[in-house]
Amino acid sequence: MKELPIKNVQPAIEIADAELVSLKNGMQLYLLPANKFAVMRLTLLFRAGSSRQSVPFSASATANLLAEGSEAMTAREISEQLDFHGSYFDVNTDRDYVYISFAMLSKFVPETLRVAEQLLLHPTFPEEEVETYRLKRKQRLQIERQKVDVRAREAFARAMFGADHPYGHSFEEAAYDQLTREELVAFYRRHYTASNGFAVCSGRIGDEERKALCALLEQLPAAEAAPRPEFPPICQEREVRLAHEGAVQSSIRIGRLLFPREHPDFVGMQVVAATLGGYFGSRLMQNLREQHGYTYGVISAMVNFEREGYLAIATQVGTEVTEEALKEIYYEIERLRHETMSDEELQLVKNIMTGEMMRILDGPFGIADVTIENILCGRTNRIITENVERIRSITPEEVQRLAEKYLRREDLVTVVVG
Amino acid sequence: MIPYKKRILENGLTVVVNRDRSSKLSAVNLLYKVGARNEDPDRTGFAHLFEHLMFRGTCDVPSFDLPVQMASGEDNAFTNNDYTNFYLTLPVDNLETALWLESDRMQGLWITPEKLETEKRVVVEEFRQRYLNQPYGDQTMLLRALAYRIHPYRWATIGRSTDHIEGATLDEVEHFYRTFYRPSNAVLALSADRDEEAMLDLAEKWFGELQDTPFTPAPIPQEPQQEEARTLVVERDVPATTISIAYHMGDRLSKDFCTGDLVSDLLSGGDSSRLYQHLVKDERLFASVNAYISGDVDPGLFILTGQLLPTTTEEQAIEAFHRETESLKHEAASAYELEKVKNKFEANALFGELNVMNKAMNLCYYDFLGDLELINREIAQYRSIDTERIFEFARRIFRAENSSTLIYRAR
Repeated sequence: MKELPIKNVQPAIEIADAELVSLKNGMQLYLLPANKFAVMRLTLLFRAGSSRQSVPFSASATANLLAEGSEAMTAREISEQLDFHGSYFDVNTDRDYVYISFAMLSKFVPETLRVAEQLLLHPTFPEEEVETYRLKRKQRLQIERQKVDVRAREAFARAMFGADHPYGHSFEEAAYDQLTREELVAFYRRHYTASNGFAVCSGRIGDEERKALCALLEQLPAAEAAPRPEFPPICQEREVRLAHEGAVQSSIRIGRLLFPREHPDFVGMQVVAATLGGYFGSRLMQNLREQHGYTYGVISAMVNFEREGYLAIATQVGTEVTEEALKEIYYEIERLRHETMSDEELQLVKNIMTGEMMRILDGPFGIADVTIENILCGRTNRIITENVERIRSITPEEVQRLAEKYLRREDLVTVVVG
Repeated sequence: MIPYKKRILENGLTVVVNRDRSSKLSAVNLLYKVGARNEDPDRTGFAHLFEHLMFRGTCDVPSFDLPVQMASGEDNAFTNNDYTNFYLTLPVDNLETALWLESDRMQGLWITPEKLETEKRVVVEEFRQRYLNQPYGDQTMLLRALAYRIHPYRWATIGRSTDHIEGATLDEVEHFYRTFYRPSNAVLALSADRDEEAMLDLAEKWFGELQDTPFTPAPIPQEPQQEEARTLVVERDVPATTISIAYHMGDRLSKDFCTGDLVSDLLSGGDSSRLYQHLVKDERLFASVNAYISGDVDPGLFILTGQLLPTTTEEQAIEAFHRETESLKHEAASAYELEKVKNKFEANALFGELNVMNKAMNLCYYDFLGDLELINREIAQYRSIDTERIFEFARRIFRAENSSTLIYRAR
């Protein structure tokens, strides 16, 4: 056997700050030039997620219907133009934000931005398209809710925040029937404004691209920012069990309400979550999959919202071993609280977390994604280096202290569907 | 354009390397030329089960993942009908760790009865999670079994039933390992910011001493020409009926591949495509539609599939698909439309070259196909497709007696 070649290199992780361009309408544009690539991606983000809606599904419908017709172009023309130039348009709505991205070849930047202008600034939400959308989405949601995993995700949000909380809401499929064109137009006007979002662009950005980006984004209306809605108090349920006819697997979610990313213990709790279920050889994976064969996979992670954050564990196990699997998950949590982990295991977790960061930051689009997260926390990209240092300096005692403090059995929320 | 260098070691291992000057990561991909098509019909799902076992430790390295993770790396694998693929990314300075580990498990695997039993349970759970506990989970399995009668493509990579996985024995594991996991049955690719010759030498250092025992694989039974239309109707507890139609087409290296791929893009590549515009938007027959090719190495399938809206009858849906395939036989696609799907292919190729892992994976795959050069020639092949080729393809492929229709009916 040759000598083991592990050198265990711990590379420095540094990303340049984005250049901030403040436009006259108040829009903020962050630039991350990487000129060796022949591609560019523009992402706009608005505080227009589902927690801002007063009518069910209106936030996601507004975002998803942006490309379905504008003042100067039909839905067909929009998709023709994007497809012809090999450009990608993508929207994603979460509880807090909507993310709108255009990825394009550098040689087709002007053509793609012309389409972007139409659907960002002049969408018309045609009645007919709204109708088709209602129909299709209703059917899709029905199918989604046949999956134990989807039902568990929804039940977990309700149990964690309360069924009436904007972070806990889930709605009947029939609510799609109430969705009107007028509501979408109103939601769009209120939330898709210069003062309610920002934009991040990465890839090849020369003078031409810069000018084109500014010209586009300067046209967003400078309306007053939509007021931040009041949230009702959080109302938790500790344990929820839902039956699912014909299920051969149960979906399990266990979590603990904690704090958003700005909290000083957030990074520490990321280390706790990673130790439990953040990688292939994690404690839960070793136990549930490698030792017992209860599951194909289990994960745990810190989840971050604008105003809250929580730790969650998720897995699907054979229905016949549901109780055993729950027992083992609680056991692993308790073990982390009562035993100090070895230096070797912690070193492993640290290396995995920093390696993961390097992988996310590989390529111009990944750098843009991380930059967006940092902006949302009000930080520059220097926070990446700080967070990596924080991870590298944490001690086994500290991990135990955090687990002890934040993962008490009586504070956990457990949801089982199956 | 992906530049590369290639070397075949004395033991038969093919090594391909690419220098990527922009990444701080390195990618290592190792492809074994064995997939579900090499399986015994009574032991299906075995190639995939074996892929799982490759992570169960060797005589010298009890855990594969541990040293990878210590080196800030990440690894995974997949199996399909044609091949089994293992891949890692890690900081470029730790590249050698990956070579050490991959060379070690090419011959040193150590599987105990206990390890085998646990892994079988994991794979059975995977089977349940992906195929049994999902609405429409068994749809592609049913379609394969309908379209193929002889060829092993008639079963999915996961296998025909959980019984096949549960019945796997240690003897079978050892035999499979010796037969297929050998230098001359594998392709290794690296992509990193390192000198190409130096990377080839590194591969030589770690893999050069491994022994190879050549063998002749059992021939894969080929599918005879289909003579008559086939239809299968199943009823399931799902909210909406779906209909899929599969047509036999040529193999991966035939002209059919690019033409079929391009035709599938005409039909369903993006929201401006024909099926979406005609059948989802204009006629409102379907909630969603798709057209794609299976892309297998041996002669594959061209598949149309759609989920019906509640107001659509099965006859209407099948008739609508028929109209679209007929039109491909007689009406020439416009120059504009052809340019669109070709641009799209080119853009996808460029977006795919942004990271090291994709490149290493593709280098292995094209070499496995037997035509590594194709990796940089395929765009030109797409560019050369004209309306005559599309007519010829459509007339030969989209015939009723070449079709298998699966009606997956909502109960």
